[in-house]
Amino acid sequence: MTVPRVETQALTIGYPGRLVAAGIDLVVLPGEIVAIVGPSGSGKSTLLSTIVGVVPALGGTIRVDGRAVTTVPIHERGVGLVFQEPLLFPHLSVQDNVMYGLRRQGTTKEEARRRSAELLEWLDLPGYGDRSVDELSGGQAQRVALARALAPRPAVLLLDEPFSALDTELRQRLALDVAATLRREGVGAIHVTHDPKEAADMADRVVAMTDFSRP
Amino acid sequence: MPAAFLTVFLAYPLGVLGSHVVDPTGWTRLVAASTWHVVPLALVQASASTILAVAVGLPIANVVSRYGFRGRALAQAAVTVPFVLPTVVVALAFRSLLGPGVPQGFVLVVLAHAYVNLAVVVRIVGSQWAQHDPNFENVARTLGATRWAAFRTVTLPTLRPAIASSASVVFIFSFTSLGIVLLLGDASTRTLESQILRQTSVLLDFPGAAATAVVQLVLVSSVLAAGMLASRRSTRRRMRPVTLRPVPSDPAGRIGVLGTAAITLAIVTAPVAALVVTSFRAAGSWSLAWWTGVTSVDAGTSRIGSPLSALATSLAFAVICAVVACVVGGLAAVAVLTHGRTRVMSLVAIVPLGISSATLGLGTLLAFGRPPIDLRGSGLLVPIAHSLVAVPLVVAVVAPALLGADARPMAVAASLGARPTRAFLTAYGSVLRVVMLASAGLACAVSLGEFGAASFLTRAGSPTVPVQIVRLLSRPGEQSYGVAAVLAVILVILTLSIVLLVDRLGTGRLRPRTAAA
Repeated sequence: MTVPRVETQALTIGYPGRLVAAGIDLVVLPGEIVAIVGPSGSGKSTLLSTIVGVVPALGGTIRVDGRAVTTVPIHERGVGLVFQEPLLFPHLSVQDNVMYGLRRQGTTKEEARRRSAELLEWLDLPGYGDRSVDELSGGQAQRVALARALAPRPAVLLLDEPFSALDTELRQRLALDVAATLRREGVGAIHVTHDPKEAADMADRVVAMTDFSRP
Repeated sequence: MPAAFLTVFLAYPLGVLGSHVVDPTGWTRLVAASTWHVVPLALVQASASTILAVAVGLPIANVVSRYGFRGRALAQAAVTVPFVLPTVVVALAFRSLLGPGVPQGFVLVVLAHAYVNLAVVVRIVGSQWAQHDPNFENVARTLGATRWAAFRTVTLPTLRPAIASSASVVFIFSFTSLGIVLLLGDASTRTLESQILRQTSVLLDFPGAAATAVVQLVLVSSVLAAGMLASRRSTRRRMRPVTLRPVPSDPAGRIGVLGTAAITLAIVTAPVAALVVTSFRAAGSWSLAWWTGVTSVDAGTSRIGSPLSALATSLAFAVICAVVACVVGGLAAVAVLTHGRTRVMSLVAIVPLGISSATLGLGTLLAFGRPPIDLRGSGLLVPIAHSLVAVPLVVAVVAPALLGADARPMAVAASLGARPTRAFLTAYGSVLRVVMLASAGLACAVSLGEFGAASFLTRAGSPTVPVQIVRLLSRPGEQSYGVAAVLAVILVILTLSIVLLVDRLGTGRLRPRTAAA
């Protein structure tokens, strides 16, 4: 039986004094992309923040590759995250950004460079390694952010509206490239988006969240 | 007019100072070992003070600029207090806090410098940190970085320009310190500033003092330039509107944030509280003796003078300084507005950092304190020197307010037949009233606390309050110490009242009217 990349059971999410959603059961298999759609305030981003560990779970369990990580620190969960904005580290080159996670894992510099070059190639940025991140366009920066998140081979990648700041044509092209790369890497992905078309184009399954606070 | 004032009272004295070094004997002085032997001591002391201020200031900046909690505004304001207090007051407060048992010297000087300059680090780094998106750290942590590694590899490099900028300012303030070094230091903590004073007032070696002043000017300018370069080497950063984060819910995080705020308040208030207590303690018990004796101590001697008359002298000098600085600085700000020279404004604002108050005092003394131009008897030398320190501050306050004001009423008034001055006042009059009042307050605060230039230029019979405090402390006896503490407390009250007033003016009534369209 295939072990899910990420699995939540009866997960309750929210903040101290504010419950956002409860009883969330979600399974993402290797190479599977699950899109989450829903109105603002329904808890999509809070769910991602809880799975990654930025916001503590109020109840339930989170498993990554079969390992319970509900109380495990962020850096030990094996969960990657890409935001709406690329958030590239401004003092590092493109290559050093992509190598950041690999270096934290103790990967040798040579191996990290090879992996970085490979990912940049897949994401249509060959030869961009030595560039400053300030030289990149919005779409290029988001590709680098994706390469950086994928480089340490996370079990699951959380995409928090990563294409919403891009124009329609670029968004569609990048979404397809990203989907192909995720499947090639065998990474599970949860993709939060407001765009139903983007969800349908990219995802294997679409999950809808409703506003928990409304009757 | 501003150019003429600065030429006569700044450029000319500095030129006179430089002329002492240009001649052959001056050059010999400049390269002499006696000119340089204080430099290593001052460098070590200033470096240690800077490291301590940055090390203590960073966690405080993190807490007060990023987290929202009850008492945050108080903690933020409290950090600013030591910076606005006169340095001799801070030195006396430290002596009061630590007691006579703690030996004067390196440790005490470094502690006091870090205390005074905490605000520089917290304000400069804090404003940068507040705009730093915490998701940078979250991303780093998802990539396997521990909390510390994320701070070290992502946050710290982003803050590096601000840290470098604040560190260079703290270094310069510590390197050119005089009041704290005189009151808390020993032979191991001399600065070039104290050396200049010693050469002038003890050794009567004016050429030697001029050479030391030139060395200091060059070193300080170099550090300033390096600081500006380092702070300019910043990559384009993602800035975001400042939104305060909630205090962490986990016990460790909560204790970290609230504990840091509480410790900050304790650190900042302890020396001032000790000073106030000292002013009410005589012969081991509570007493008003020093407060009631403030009018009479040594009133009969010209060496020390009456403490109360020192207060009157300081207040008179503060008023003259405020008038001169507001006229000169205000006109300079108007020139900035009408000529659109915002770069000149930032340059003017930074000039006094490079020219220490002792250098200013010595230059003024050499230029106007002896024939052919001897103004010592006029009582104007001190307020003029204080004005030179205050003018850039006035420009820094007034010019941005004028630049932010809506200029359109000026054109409307002119089209209706108003003369240029009337049209100008129609557009900028209300803003000018507020900022000039704030500027006058700042100039008064500067003048009341200034010690370096005043120590060179004060006449024996009419010292300013900071000079009087140092004179009192140089004498043995509990009475001198107690009365000095009373004067220091009065300065604290005056300075904080002025700063609070200026702050209220700045945040309340002064709202630049920017064009809506």
